[in-house]
Amino acid sequence: MALSIVTEPIVQVVDLVKQVISPEQELTILDGVSLSIEKGDSVAIVGVSGSGKSTLLGLMAGLDLPSSGVARLQGVDLSSIDEDGRAQLRARHVGFVFQNFQLLPGLTALENVMLPMELVGLSEGRDAALNVLDRVGLSHRLRHYPSQLSGGEQQRVAIARAFVINPSLLLADEPTGNLDKKTGKRIADLLFALNAERGTTLVLVTHDEELGSRCTRRLELEGGKLLPQGT
Amino acid sequence: MNSLLLALRALRREWRAGDLRIVLVALTVAVASLVSVTAFVDRSRQALLRQGSEFLAADLVVHSSFAPNPLWSEEANRRGLASAQTTNFRSVVVAPSQTALAEIKAVSSAYPLRGRLRIADDIVADDREAVGIPTPGSVWVEARLLTLLGIGVGDRVRLGSRGFFVSNVITYEPDRGGVVFSIAPRLLINSDDLMSTQLIQPGSLLHYHQLYAGAPGEIADFRRWLIDRVKPGTTVQDADSASPRFSDAFKRGGRFLGLATLVSMVLAAVSIITAVRHYADRHLDHVAIMRCFGASQQQIITIYALQLVTLGLLASAVGCVLGYAGQQVLAFLLSDVVGIALPAASLRPAAAGVVIGVTALTGFGLPTILRLKHVPPLRVFRRELGPPPPGLILLFGPTLIILVGLIFWMTQDAKLAALVAGGSAATVGVLAAAGYGLIRALAMTANHGAGASWRFGIANLRRRASSSTLQIVSLGLGVMAMLLLTTVRSELMEGWEDSLPPSTPNHFLINVQSNQVSEVAQFLRQQGLKPQVASPIVRARLLQINGSDVRRESYEDPLARRAVERAANLSWAAELQTDNRVVAGQWWRPGDRGSALISVEQDYAHALGLGLGDILRYQIADQEIDFYISSLREVTWDSFMPNFFLLVPPDLLSPQSASYITSIYVPRSENLTLRHLIEKFPNVTDIDVGAVLQQVRRLLDLISQAMEYVFVFTLAAGIVVLYAAIQTTLSERRKEIAVLRTLGATRRRISMGLVAEFAILGMLAGAIGALGASVTGYMLARFAFGVQYDFDPWMWAFGIVVSALIVAFAGVLGTRHLLQSRLWDALQQT
Repeated sequence: MALSIVTEPIVQVVDLVKQVISPEQELTILDGVSLSIEKGDSVAIVGVSGSGKSTLLGLMAGLDLPSSGVARLQGVDLSSIDEDGRAQLRARHVGFVFQNFQLLPGLTALENVMLPMELVGLSEGRDAALNVLDRVGLSHRLRHYPSQLSGGEQQRVAIARAFVINPSLLLADEPTGNLDKKTGKRIADLLFALNAERGTTLVLVTHDEELGSRCTRRLELEGGKLLPQGT
Repeated sequence: MNSLLLALRALRREWRAGDLRIVLVALTVAVASLVSVTAFVDRSRQALLRQGSEFLAADLVVHSSFAPNPLWSEEANRRGLASAQTTNFRSVVVAPSQTALAEIKAVSSAYPLRGRLRIADDIVADDREAVGIPTPGSVWVEARLLTLLGIGVGDRVRLGSRGFFVSNVITYEPDRGGVVFSIAPRLLINSDDLMSTQLIQPGSLLHYHQLYAGAPGEIADFRRWLIDRVKPGTTVQDADSASPRFSDAFKRGGRFLGLATLVSMVLAAVSIITAVRHYADRHLDHVAIMRCFGASQQQIITIYALQLVTLGLLASAVGCVLGYAGQQVLAFLLSDVVGIALPAASLRPAAAGVVIGVTALTGFGLPTILRLKHVPPLRVFRRELGPPPPGLILLFGPTLIILVGLIFWMTQDAKLAALVAGGSAATVGVLAAAGYGLIRALAMTANHGAGASWRFGIANLRRRASSSTLQIVSLGLGVMAMLLLTTVRSELMEGWEDSLPPSTPNHFLINVQSNQVSEVAQFLRQQGLKPQVASPIVRARLLQINGSDVRRESYEDPLARRAVERAANLSWAAELQTDNRVVAGQWWRPGDRGSALISVEQDYAHALGLGLGDILRYQIADQEIDFYISSLREVTWDSFMPNFFLLVPPDLLSPQSASYITSIYVPRSENLTLRHLIEKFPNVTDIDVGAVLQQVRRLLDLISQAMEYVFVFTLAAGIVVLYAAIQTTLSERRKEIAVLRTLGATRRRISMGLVAEFAILGMLAGAIGALGASVTGYMLARFAFGVQYDFDPWMWAFGIVVSALIVAFAGVLGTRHLLQSRLWDALQQT
């Protein structure tokens, strides 16, 4: 019976172009990218610096709008709704993990994790945050501020924050980029373990080939274009 | 040289990058509002001084009982000053059926040099400004002289051996204000006619007034020149020392304007400190990189100090131009409202603007800049590393010293400056402690039941506890300054309005004999008028102070000299009048009736060097009485009620020895009533002070209008403080808002959080500012303005609510663009 349901891709981009206009010239960052990501996939977007990986991630989440082409999230054309509409969509479906953690410095670890729950007005925010912090091994650091945590711990808080709303899509931008190799591996293990436990779709931007190889799909960008897929 | 080039290059780059905007805007607006206020205050003060000059009919008057030295006028001419002369004496004026004693004043053609004479065509006609002086052969006379002589305009009178034609009734002489109580009525003649009266003989008792007018600096120089040359027995009087009756209004008006200057200076300082701190904070990364590349601490300091000076000069220049333009527009509007054209502004405020701009920016900025040299180069790798937090003394010490120095320089009023500087310093301390405490307290309660937006707002405040405290301090100071100005202004204005209602007496009736007091009052009441209670007057001559004879030569002060050489008016009263206040000692008790106690007005006591417990011997009629000084009083002279330097308890002096004075309001249309009164009681003298009253009203109008406008300027300065405070948090907010939006917060949710945050900030600042304003307001009212201060709970409510609303509105307005910015760009920048 399950087979009879035709599921829509969770992310779909068609002929995506992103250009920026600098004083000297017009710069094309993404040039006609099309792809679709199904629910449960884990996708690594790889490429050298400046190839357009992070820009593509931003467009998939509706953090920015394309110059042309279409980006759909959960079947919704992100250009057809306003910024608040996109924010609501993110609040319910998307978790983020950034290279530079993006924790709010004045909130404790617990408060940072509770934040997305509070944004959607979920009353069980505190319990959920405590659970997920326990899961990432930070029960003893609940009242610590980001500045009192190590890089690895900060990224674990960021992962907890990303998973606390049980997102259907997790976007991670160089999640291990700011960490040493050993810590980076632990963070990656955690990320993939949680992804597997909760059945989340994972899109990972990285230039770490090893991290990329842990995903089920690998997309490579070069000069703003998607190279033909190998695996 | 290298540092200078580096500094200028960095300045140019930062200009391009927009980093200088906040500092520039804060400084420009601060200087502009400061220049506006000081230029406006300068002009208002000049106008006040002109009013003082009007009471003299000149800027400088030399009084003497001998003919003035012609060299004085030659010197005045050489210096480009205008001059005029009046000769004053008493003489009998003869009409066909009556004679009367008159105060004769012979005036030269340029009289009056300041102010205008006013005349009317007859006793009840409306008066108008006079053109010139009486033509030769004609005289202008006061209405009561016509009454006494039983004649009208157009009749002839004889003065000495010459006959004159009465051409007009004189209703106002600008320089009569100081001598409203002269007994005889005025007769004004042209000085060209003086000799032909043959009244000027050797031994005649004459008073010569030599009048001069010109630019303030020239007059001051000429005054110094004169002082060294005048003979003893000559008094030199300038606008500052014009009649004490009006000096209270002058002093308080001047002090208020001085206060407004201080308030804008405090606000300017606050916005500059806030902006410079932000500027320095934004440069921590720059400095770290420069340190990494080998810049010495010395170089860092030089570069940033040079940048500040250049910036200071630039912003000050622009601020000066804007400030001048602003006050010019307002002065134009004001001249229409009050009917007084303000004199041109001097260049002093512009000079002050530039000096203050540069000094304040470098002075207030320096402690922050000095911190920069401690930025560790390691910050390049670990951004959380910064310079050590500034010590309170380093941060506020130089600031306070500079502020106090500037305040002294601008106001030349040590008491006012000390009160405001002390009040501000204390408020800063209390604000900082209270602000920090309140934020912590709020944060602790925030988790219990507050809505998400409020939680956000409170979390924002707590997260930036130290910068929130700084903002509360800045805003609180701004709120305090504005509440202070509002309350002091309204207290002063109310005080004045109360003191001069429309029914303020405009006539004094003097020389009423003790047995006529009730008859005169009854006569006036029958005519529908309401005379005040009559006060007794006894003439008393001061003979000794503490057993030593008094001598005129022992005193420099004109008031003291007058007190010694002339008989004083002494009165008695059981109760203290409402316009009097005991400042030392105590008012007599019921049991003191008949005791030889005396209460002395404080300026009079000061001039003669008197204190509580001194013994004064006065001659009253043929009696010599020793009085013990039991109290000193402050008198509100501009109340237009009969007031006395000297008061004694009732039942000491015989009522029969006194004449009485009463005051009354008489509409101009009822002037004939007074004529009938004088006919019925010929010994009673009526003195019309309506024109003087009018002049004082105009003066108060000028001051209150000046207050209104100055208030608007300071309000602008307060808004800049807010702007600077908000700008300092923008980059941090940009990051937060980007993260929140990424996590799915709607703009509405974020907006509500911002509203909550700014509203709480405003409420805290409002509460603390109201506290500061209450304390400083009390001190100012008590010690600087001498007015009653009533604690006003509404001021607190107003301060808190309005401050919350304004700060919330301005805060959201100032951060709105962050919500509109492109999310991805914002995230990439953080």
